[in-house]
Amino acid sequence: CGFALRGAVAFPFNSIFIGLPLNSPLGGELKRNIRSSGQTTIAADAKSADVALEVLGETREKVILSYNSQGRAREYNLLYNFRFRVVDKDGKEVLTPTGISLKRTISFNESQVLAKESEEVLLYRDMQSDLVQQIMRRLAVLKMD
Amino acid sequence: QVQSVAIAGKPSTKADDKNATTVIQAEQISGRPERYIQFDEKVELVKGTTTMVADHAIYRNLEDELDAKGDVRAVRNGDCYNGDEMRLRLDTNAGFVINPSYKLLRNNGQGKGERIEFQDEERSTVFKGTYSTCEGFDPDWYLKADTLKLDTGIDRGVAGTSVVYFKHVPILAVPSFLAMSFPLSDARHSGVLPPSLGSSSTGGMELGLPYYFNIAPNRDLTVFPKYIQKRGLQVGLDGRYLGVGYAGETNFEFLPDDKQTGTNRYALASTHAQTLLPKLALSWNINHASDDAYPADFATNINKTAVRVLPRDLTFAYTDTYWNAILLSSKYQVLQDIAAPIVPPYDRLPQLTVHGGQFDVLGFDWAVDTILTRFSHPTLVRGDRAVIIPQVSMPFLQPGYFVTPKLSLHATNYHLDNPVAGQDANSQRTLPTFSLDSGLIFERKANWFGSQMTQTLEPRLFYVNTPYRDQSQLPNFDSATADFNFAQMFSENRFTGHDRIGDANQLTAALVSRFIEDSGEERVKLAIGQRIYFNQQKVSLGGSVSQSRSDLLLSAAGKISDTLSAEASLQMSQSDNEAVRSNYGLRWSPAPRKVLNAEYRFQRDTVTPNNQVKQIDVSMQWPLANRWYMVGRSNFSLQTNKLIEGLAGFEYKQDCWSFRVLAQRFVTATSTSTTGISMQLELNGLAKLGSNTIDVLKKGISGYQPIN
Repeated sequence: CGFALRGAVAFPFNSIFIGLPLNSPLGGELKRNIRSSGQTTIAADAKSADVALEVLGETREKVILSYNSQGRAREYNLLYNFRFRVVDKDGKEVLTPTGISLKRTISFNESQVLAKESEEVLLYRDMQSDLVQQIMRRLAVLKMD
Repeated sequence: QVQSVAIAGKPSTKADDKNATTVIQAEQISGRPERYIQFDEKVELVKGTTTMVADHAIYRNLEDELDAKGDVRAVRNGDCYNGDEMRLRLDTNAGFVINPSYKLLRNNGQGKGERIEFQDEERSTVFKGTYSTCEGFDPDWYLKADTLKLDTGIDRGVAGTSVVYFKHVPILAVPSFLAMSFPLSDARHSGVLPPSLGSSSTGGMELGLPYYFNIAPNRDLTVFPKYIQKRGLQVGLDGRYLGVGYAGETNFEFLPDDKQTGTNRYALASTHAQTLLPKLALSWNINHASDDAYPADFATNINKTAVRVLPRDLTFAYTDTYWNAILLSSKYQVLQDIAAPIVPPYDRLPQLTVHGGQFDVLGFDWAVDTILTRFSHPTLVRGDRAVIIPQVSMPFLQPGYFVTPKLSLHATNYHLDNPVAGQDANSQRTLPTFSLDSGLIFERKANWFGSQMTQTLEPRLFYVNTPYRDQSQLPNFDSATADFNFAQMFSENRFTGHDRIGDANQLTAALVSRFIEDSGEERVKLAIGQRIYFNQQKVSLGGSVSQSRSDLLLSAAGKISDTLSAEASLQMSQSDNEAVRSNYGLRWSPAPRKVLNAEYRFQRDTVTPNNQVKQIDVSMQWPLANRWYMVGRSNFSLQTNKLIEGLAGFEYKQDCWSFRVLAQRFVTATSTSTTGISMQLELNGLAKLGSNTIDVLKKGISGYQPIN
């Protein structure tokens, strides 16, 4: 049916600087994925890289999604919004500010407040993996000139 | 015959307006050199960005001052001033206009007065004048004040003693000590908030008159006195601050001597975050209400009454490159509903978490988490718990596939203060877990409703093995069975928290397919997954023990077209072939401020039927006719055949003001609900901040956009 195993991703740059702290799980996962996909290297600073990924904003929000018949929250939406852009050596934008929004649903019960707290951590980690894949897709089609 | 005179500005290295050369043209020029010059007929002045025309003008050399008379029209920095008479000092740009009318460039602010005095290029004061953002001689609304200080440099106007008129009817009087300020640009700073008038079943007539104080660019205070007919005068304070290394917001509401209960009613919500040292941060989140009924009696929307467990946290966090430590002290206030009591959560007094870890060390990721907690509770088993979890994994990644083996150990030690009969005061549990995650990624070019896209096909297999330990005698401080979803499927433990570690010999299989646009944007995601158990599960938290297969998960979500998006998910039990959780939703937004949402949500709960969710949620914002918009939401429970939250209203938009009326009904507790109606007039440029009503609409109607 036309499906083929994904081949090496040819990024249109040889090296990239990821503007996230060393201990950032998101940064760790993103760097590993970029490195695994071919010749692209991760630069230690923005000056020595062809392009730099700049994080413009990372926000987490929790909003009530549904109520039970007594008007109490029974489901929440966890929202994860990430905004970034990519600039080249001269500071020119090769990817204009781009937002990626992710969402997961979590059920809620007042007697399980502590358990739900650690469940949220799991869902944010899942969104992080999803986010890394979506960032990779955006980087792969950058227009460099 | 036009003649012209040039008057040089003071010598200066800066080429700014103040020192620019002034050129004055007129048909007749006369006077005494070195004393004055008289200009008559079609006088035109140009000095930098300042221009002026008048019938007559006289320039006095000594004072460096120009007096203009007769149909004076001046433009300074794009702002226009017309009047009978004008004086301007050419060196300082100070001066005045008699009987002026004015129009500011930035936000169309305009008005007239008896006199305008220019302090300098940017600052001026209007005496006994008016201000409005409406066009024309007969504005729909205007502010009349004894003094109006306009500063186009910081884009702010400040009114002295003033009265706001709407359709020539005085609607708001502001004494001078409140120094009402308003923005002179689109920037959302300073300004009075629109007053609100309403009525509710719990409070009777309600009138709110909020005031907004812009104390400093990074600090503000909103005071919102509200008269509630059946209860008394409530005063609310909301302060926000932001600085280098700290930020916070505190909201406090107080109503002394409630007419109905005879008690003081209050609520507090405060958040704060601060960097104490480069690596050390402090934060708090403190919430308190005077009594259990507070949200039901005073809430203006369902989001306030839906939360009955209020956290009080204080956190210190130390962050280094490869490790961090968090010291947390956490308590809760539970607002009980007698008809449906809540078991209060455990307090953590305190909890110390130390995390160390590194990514990609010779291909390995490692992490060690240590958590020490003192759990306290008024009625349940109390005690100390120590948990240490070392783990190591080796992700092997290629563009087309990945394999991640992972090994972890969960070591737990309990010391209980008041064990129940049969429970040991001291107990330990050590459990290893092995997991293997793997996946393939296939791709092809595909067609999605006429547009070319990349379609992926991503099969994934996840195996977990954790041996069984009897944990039935261990306390349960923070564990619960996790929701079964696509994230939980690929985690090792079916419980969250650290008191229960599920025995596992299981394989999860899932298939994901995505449609990705050429820009890299994900358009649609489809997924299916299930878990297969090779052993009967023994560790349980009271729920039913699963059979050989888990529930089946199906989900589809994405944008069908630019205006239509859809979402569907289903969790299907394999023992009775019935839905455990499901939702189906659609959003259609064919234009800005035109949105229609419809969703069905279901969540089964056979143990506590009160917690079951079965509802239809429909909401919209829709233009009805020119300038008229309709807003509405209906969140209806199919289980009790009751409206959980209903909103219905209209919004009317004029160029310089808007009006909205909103009726609301929402459930506040078992068998109680609130019904109310509120009205609000928003004057553009005077009140630029979002109001309570807009918050209700934004939260209730997904995709709602304010009309002005």
